[in-house]
Amino acid sequence: MQKYEKLEKIGEGTYGTVFKAKNKETQEIVALKRVRLDDDDEGVPSSALREICLLKELKHKNIVRLHDVLHSDRKLTLVFEYCDQDLKKYFDSCNGEIDPDVVKSFMYQLLRGLEFCHSHNVLHRDLKPQNLLINKNGELKLADFGLARAFGIPVRCYSAEVVTLWYRPPDVLFGAKLYTTSIDMWSAGCIFAELANAGRPLFPGNDVDDQLKRIFKLLGTPIEDTWPGITKLPEYRPYPIYQVTTPLVSVVPKLSVKGRDLLQRLLVCNPVLRMSAEESLQHIYFADLNPAIKN
Amino acid sequence: MAGNFWKSSHYQQWILDKQDIMRERQKDLNNLTEEEYQKLMIFYANLIQAVGEQLKVRQQVIATATIYFKRFYSKNSLKNIDPLLMAPTCIFLASKVEEFGVISNSRLLTACQTVVKNKFGYAYGNQEFPYRISHVLECEFFLLEMLDCCMIVYHPYRPLIQYVQDMGQEEQVLPLAWRIVNDSLRTDACLLYPPFQIALACLHMACVILQKDCKHWFAELNVDLDKILEISQLILKLYDLWKNFDEKKEIQGLLPKMPKPKTQPPPSSRPTSSQAPGSSSDQHGQSQPNSSTQQQQQRA
Repeated sequence: MQKYEKLEKIGEGTYGTVFKAKNKETQEIVALKRVRLDDDDEGVPSSALREICLLKELKHKNIVRLHDVLHSDRKLTLVFEYCDQDLKKYFDSCNGEIDPDVVKSFMYQLLRGLEFCHSHNVLHRDLKPQNLLINKNGELKLADFGLARAFGIPVRCYSAEVVTLWYRPPDVLFGAKLYTTSIDMWSAGCIFAELANAGRPLFPGNDVDDQLKRIFKLLGTPIEDTWPGITKLPEYRPYPIYQVTTPLVSVVPKLSVKGRDLLQRLLVCNPVLRMSAEESLQHIYFADLNPAIKN
Repeated sequence: MAGNFWKSSHYQQWILDKQDIMRERQKDLNNLTEEEYQKLMIFYANLIQAVGEQLKVRQQVIATATIYFKRFYSKNSLKNIDPLLMAPTCIFLASKVEEFGVISNSRLLTACQTVVKNKFGYAYGNQEFPYRISHVLECEFFLLEMLDCCMIVYHPYRPLIQYVQDMGQEEQVLPLAWRIVNDSLRTDACLLYPPFQIALACLHMACVILQKDCKHWFAELNVDLDKILEISQLILKLYDLWKNFDEKKEIQGLLPKMPKPKTQPPPSSRPTSSQAPGSSSDQHGQSQPNSSTQQQQQRA
């Protein structure tokens, strides 16, 4: 711990306080995430273990780097690469204007980080602007893997209570227990629209019911024909059949035709039909992406 | 993490060199013969299995816990932390990592108590399990550090299933090969070889025992058959040792010979310092968690 000089508190994470700090030897700025070890029960909290486990295996430029784990008298401190802000704060600072090239760049990086996770059989499960970090070079990194989990062996049911409501796909809202990478793709779609609108959330629902209504009003209510199996979901309830009346162009007016096409393929209620991260990186929307970002 | 084994910490940091393992073990071999050391390791693997079964965790959790245990003592003397404490700690950690859930303190201790008193009464003379949950939590901390936080472990089970399916001998060969994989956890194979190689060795042994003709299938594999042979030999040596190991008779003689922490666990008091429970005072001199790991990385 002596290696680092604490500079300021950045925030409260899932399982502890986050500080900005400086490595005294290298002058490198890092983020220190202190893990609270509650003396009695759990030992090292599962959420922290999960994050450490996964970040130990996932090394990618669009995933926040875990530099080190410090052990000192019954305290664990995770040393992360430092990023200047998260996407939520970025939205707050940009006054309702984001350059379309920045939208494209952020979206590409988000999908590329996801593609890497998914190819390693890791779901993030909790994507939201607060969990996407942005550094001053305009690089975007996935962070906060406290709810992420490795899948692969179908073990028990996955807990349904994991994604922040606004970015939750309808299958999870209906209580689907065995979700897959498609959960993150829905969240990515919601974030895409929010990027395009410079920080206005797409579906800011108040509760599960309101969330589903907002989704169905925009995309149309799914039925067995469009989504076989929907009525068998554990918490399925019938909803009024909304027809699609609002064209996507009026929802994301600043997004190009190609961008809207990508968005349309991500925001698909039936999880089986949602586009994968790998496919979406090949989408024509990214054809004119600045090559410096692509490499 | 079913993903990329070749980029995993398991491959990059935890496929160890036999010589490094033996160098580290040398300290313990002042007190014990190699054979006695192996027998103790069999005993503790059995203990982990028993605690795991008592807690009804999945075999995957038991396998992961056993590998944590072996990784820890591949870089530490038995005297650094009492294996009787390390064994349940490995189960406790593995259960969280494998998403089996947190084992509650009282369940864990009750399971240890039951196993030590009943199943292994012959080893511990019907003594109580001497540790408290605070010891386990502290031990978990040391374990985590020693593992260099590498907790995702790959096992031979999944590749084994794939190979057996490919071979088309599923029903006959799989159960036996699976059992041999379980047994292989009592050798150093999991520290020395990638899991897919262990799976192949176990499959090969199962085929030989069941007199299944598999020459063709193995000949077409693009793998280093010498490695497979080495693993088979490790396992055969284990069976040889096991056959002549009367645990019930011998273990009471073996446990006292084991190098012990200078400070024994206080049966009824919580540790006051941050020192590992049941650890010797020279713990920090002994254990340099990262040095040999870094050598590994450079090699890789």
